[in-house]
Amino acid sequence: MALRQPNVLPGFGLTFGFTTFFLSALVLLPLCALVLMAASMQWHDFVHVVLSPRALGSYRLSFGASFLAAAINLVFGFIIAWTLVRYEFPGRKLIDALIDMPFALPTAVSGIALTTVFAQNGWIGQYLEPLGIKVAYTWIGVTVALTLIGMPFVVRSVQPALLEVQRDLEDAAETLGAGRFYVFRRIILPTVLPALLTGFTLAFARAVGEYGSVIFIAGNLPLKTEITPLLIVIHLEEFDYKGAAALGFVMLVISFCMLLTINLLQAWGRRRHVQSAR
Amino acid sequence: MSITLDQVTKRYQGVPVVNDVSLDIGDGEFFVLLGPSGSGKSTLLRAIAGLSGVDHGRISLHGRDVTHVAARGRGVGLVFQNYALFRHMTVAENIEFALRVRRVKAAERRQRRQELLRLVALEGMDQRLPAQLSGGQQQRVAVARALAHKPEVLLLDEPFGALDAKIREELRRTIREVQRELGITTVLVTHDQEEAFALADRIGVMNLGRLLEIGRPHELYTRPATRFVATFLGAANLILARQTKDGIRFGERPVSARAAAPIHGAREHEVVAVVRPEEIEVAPSREALSSGYMCKGAVDEIMFTGALERMRIRLDGGNDSPSLAYSNGDGTPYLEVTRTLHEQRAFQVGRGQTVAIGVRRVHVLPTPLSSFTVCAPNEALAGALTQQPLLVELATRMKTRISARLEPQLGVPTAACGDKAAFPGTTVIASQPDVAHQAEWLLKRGADEVLILPGNASPPQRVLIHWADEPVRSATLAVSASMLRHVSAEAVYVGIMPDVTPSAQRPHGMRALLDARSEAQAVHGLEMRTELRFGEVAHELARQLGEVPGQMLILGVCEVARLVERFGTLLESARWPVLIVRRENESEPSQAQHAISTAVVADHG
Repeated sequence: MALRQPNVLPGFGLTFGFTTFFLSALVLLPLCALVLMAASMQWHDFVHVVLSPRALGSYRLSFGASFLAAAINLVFGFIIAWTLVRYEFPGRKLIDALIDMPFALPTAVSGIALTTVFAQNGWIGQYLEPLGIKVAYTWIGVTVALTLIGMPFVVRSVQPALLEVQRDLEDAAETLGAGRFYVFRRIILPTVLPALLTGFTLAFARAVGEYGSVIFIAGNLPLKTEITPLLIVIHLEEFDYKGAAALGFVMLVISFCMLLTINLLQAWGRRRHVQSAR
Repeated sequence: MSITLDQVTKRYQGVPVVNDVSLDIGDGEFFVLLGPSGSGKSTLLRAIAGLSGVDHGRISLHGRDVTHVAARGRGVGLVFQNYALFRHMTVAENIEFALRVRRVKAAERRQRRQELLRLVALEGMDQRLPAQLSGGQQQRVAVARALAHKPEVLLLDEPFGALDAKIREELRRTIREVQRELGITTVLVTHDQEEAFALADRIGVMNLGRLLEIGRPHELYTRPATRFVATFLGAANLILARQTKDGIRFGERPVSARAAAPIHGAREHEVVAVVRPEEIEVAPSREALSSGYMCKGAVDEIMFTGALERMRIRLDGGNDSPSLAYSNGDGTPYLEVTRTLHEQRAFQVGRGQTVAIGVRRVHVLPTPLSSFTVCAPNEALAGALTQQPLLVELATRMKTRISARLEPQLGVPTAACGDKAAFPGTTVIASQPDVAHQAEWLLKRGADEVLILPGNASPPQRVLIHWADEPVRSATLAVSASMLRHVSAEAVYVGIMPDVTPSAQRPHGMRALLDARSEAQAVHGLEMRTELRFGEVAHELARQLGEVPGQMLILGVCEVARLVERFGTLLESARWPVLIVRRENESEPSQAQHAISTAVVADHG
């Protein structure tokens, strides 16, 4: 059926061919290589590398900080998107353009910039220091860096969804007696939830893979502020390719599981939404 | 009263979109707010619902002042054009929304839901999602949802807009039945006059943010007070006629009519007459007419529309032709005529055929502003003034015409005026150094209203109203009301007392102000603010006009002789439009308010 429908792009065969080719060449094959490389290790060695305390610490930081960063983005990204969609104020276009900056900036640059600001004598760091809050060279710094990196993903996925929430719906709910919080919880949130989840997933995935910006601000203390990608690089620098591959494999598995879960959640949400839209 | 609006004003970026609207809607009444898009009707409805605040005025529901109460506390039900159903909820959840918010128990909710679904004829649809329903059904759900919490007032914002004709009619009937059954006070907003006629107990017609007229459908149709209502509710031929001692004249021809109350005194003057297309009779000859003969014309276009036949008849433009206030496009005067099948059978007409035209019923509008006559000493000036943007805008909005008249001797004290003796309608002159003399010259020679226009004048946002002599009060208010229907501006009456007024007299001044305001409201339907100033009249007015741009002055005078002496400097420095209203010192001033309807008696003379 899909084959016969006339389309702008040439035939299904050609486009599907390209799809498989590109996915294979750019995603599947490198991943296979990684898995094979890891598989060529002895089970004992594999376990030793993957479950070493240093590795475990790095998983916790990488996934924990990523999750936390994505969660922070979920809330504040939503607020930013809300502000941009709902209010008309001078400089709105400028702020809208600024949102994309983390996309374009080399991540190392963001890392250096963040470190400058949050170091003990930095612009913000010097005021946090007396309060006993250290950002740079702690897990907080890692989270801050990952939040910066992931923010545009949430904003950009939520914006179009928010545009779709008709003012009339809120007005209707208000005349029916609903308070602001009730309107938000029962009317707005259900409508933008799928988009929010998408944004969360993207931000999370991006944060897990982030390397450049984190290494400057993390301080990289083993067991404390060392992220898994850094650990992999350290293995590489010691020419321990297999160890690096093993860690990469573990990251791959964990990431895949988490993304799959979120995607399933989302599909479930979308099914409800689509059902109601039909 | 169920809903009371008192001088409600809502501005958007400084421009009033709802302008001084006062209105009382009774218990259980079905009130329709009718107006073209952009007339402010939806904004007014949202203000009643509490979804948008007002800048001025008060709103009460059942005697409770709710001006500062949020929508959720007003106890109203609102239905939107696009249904605004919650798409992720079932029909049942939608309808129960208001009850859930109020923490009503599930059993009670279910019972109320069944009741409402029966009311809107949607039983058994509880578990559907909105997207599984047709447009008409969705709107029924929206109505049921709006009624769930037993609101005291039901508001409907163009509820049929998105539906096709058949379903529209069906839903219209349902809504009328529901409204009757519950006896709930209802306000419906629409731009569709047919809908308004079908549903309304009373209709309020809005244009440019103002509530122009309120009345029962039949009243508004047969006896409109304004051009806008006459042409917006159904089709109307607007004809410039003369009100004389003996009745109404179209062109040179007297159409004897039963006594009609004159608009200003006994003097002959120009009026705007409304002739509905169905009140025009056509016949092969003058003798065959059963109604008053008006003129001859040629059938230009015939359209068959089922029950009715619509015709356009081109008037021959001869001496006895009535002058139309407004002719479409090319300037050829056309009359719109509709005939029933019965009439068609009695006299078949074809295109190009010349017919005699008779008028069964004429309604004269009580508006004192009938048409514009540009007056200038030479052709170039007259031409320029005819093109003046504000004048063109006004004439378009008033659906009237601008004619030009040359007065080479304009302003020369002793000179008589040109050919015609009378100045029909409003005379327009350009603002220039000796404009005060020109105005006085015109007023002395019989002009009733003189409009002084600076070349760059644009539609005003504020109109100051002042009369220098008490006898002209009523006429000034009538002219002001007529003018303000066509500009979206706020009206301010400025009362001015001499600087030296002893303080004991000041309350008297305040009372005069309030009297003026209530007269304007009661007699002319004009809502205006009032301001009391102390000082010299012309000086105070000039000062106030100078404060902000975009103002206009309407000035009533009796004593023309001293116009230059009293207002010379005010008029000559005028960077704002000034409309001077002159009336004789009349004994019985204000009968103008009553719409005058006259049945034309057969006239075979």
